[in-house]
Amino acid sequence: MRKIALLAILLLVSACASAPQTQQLITTPSNLPGRAELSHTPFFPQQRYQCGPAALATSLTYSGVNIDLSTLIAEVYLPSRLGSLQSEILASIRRHNRLPYSIAPNMRALLSEVAAGNPILVLQNLGLSWAPQWHYAVVIGFDLNRREIILRSGTDERHISDMDTFELTWARSRYWGIAVLSAETLPASASAERYLRAVVALENTQTSHQRWSVIHTAYRTALSRWPNNLIAQMGLGNSAYQLGELDVAAQAFRDAVRDHPNEGAVYNNLAQVLMEQGQLDAAEKQARRAVALAGPYLESYRATLAEIQRAQKVIP
Amino acid sequence: MNIAKNTKRTTIGSLLLVFLSVTCFLPMAQATMIGTGQMLDHSQTQQNRTHIKTLLKRADLAAQLKNAGVDPAQLQARVDALTDEEVAVLTDQLDQLPAGSGILGTALLVFLVLLATDILGYTEVFPFVKKTVNLN
Repeated sequence: MRKIALLAILLLVSACASAPQTQQLITTPSNLPGRAELSHTPFFPQQRYQCGPAALATSLTYSGVNIDLSTLIAEVYLPSRLGSLQSEILASIRRHNRLPYSIAPNMRALLSEVAAGNPILVLQNLGLSWAPQWHYAVVIGFDLNRREIILRSGTDERHISDMDTFELTWARSRYWGIAVLSAETLPASASAERYLRAVVALENTQTSHQRWSVIHTAYRTALSRWPNNLIAQMGLGNSAYQLGELDVAAQAFRDAVRDHPNEGAVYNNLAQVLMEQGQLDAAEKQARRAVALAGPYLESYRATLAEIQRAQKVIP
Repeated sequence: MNIAKNTKRTTIGSLLLVFLSVTCFLPMAQATMIGTGQMLDHSQTQQNRTHIKTLLKRADLAAQLKNAGVDPAQLQARVDALTDEEVAVLTDQLDQLPAGSGILGTALLVFLVLLATDILGYTEVFPFVKKTVNLN
């Protein structure tokens, strides 16, 4: 009954839906261009229930991955749910050595990315919270004057949505929007935290030599924008270590020690690398610094120091 | 009931064996290197100690994906591509999380409501609803 009442009320309201962020974008001046469209974005029309793989194929191909739709269906489609889950979409992007960068949850961030040349994979609920119609699509353009969003969506190569309606449908997924990036590129609206979370997630899944080199490049890319960032410096050193490039690793940790002299973990990892390079005395010195700084990883620092001291006894 | 439970257990058990034999999830081979993830998020400190628990969760999720109709040949690769956090969430909520599908069929009442909200611009379910009211 309540739903029917709601329906009646909705029908009485004759005005068209208006969405707050869109309203603000239209009325307040900003540095966004009036319109943008990434017309060269490829298009993969969706098969039944498979908007997830189709939107993924669009984004991955745009980022330079050579992929066919059937591979992606095998990677993300969940038959019992007749659809695809967000985590599996992210995982699939990682499987193709791309970074799923989660954009800030608002319209301005979305339009800035599109204006900068990054199509954004979005999850919309085209229906209502109690009658959901979850749908993946890729935002490829917008027109502020016409109040429109342009998408690769479903079986429509150039789907035009009313911007207010789009905002309302996108808000229902809490503005879930993903830029698919190669390791050499940063998103336009990049925040260090968001970018590094994406790289660390790549590091925390099944890794291979090739994957480590992608991760290494991504940390370099991060350092080009945030040169003193501790996580990026650590990541650069750790990925070089995994790749067996001890000199590169040692240099990365030295840079980190210089910029963050109170982080025990950095001394610890530098000590480990120096030990493996056979520089036992230098290694011991760094390990002692780590132990002196203590902190949550003190046990690991002590283990490093003990290992170095054992090695010193074997090779006096 | 018991048989079903046992079957599920056997499935998880056999999948766990696969995971233990094939997978090596420790991001840092040497226990004494501090991982990047640990620096970003201190809750990852216990990573090594919860390793077995994590593998159990992964096997559990693989079993659930199998029941959900995923090709058995794909199970390992799909679970491997997820982070521990994602595995934990999916294991608990595989049936509740939003699954993007595009448009599914709806009941009549729902159809009428969505038709109305489509016309008003609150939703965008039916392609035949054209936005005729454009005040700009």
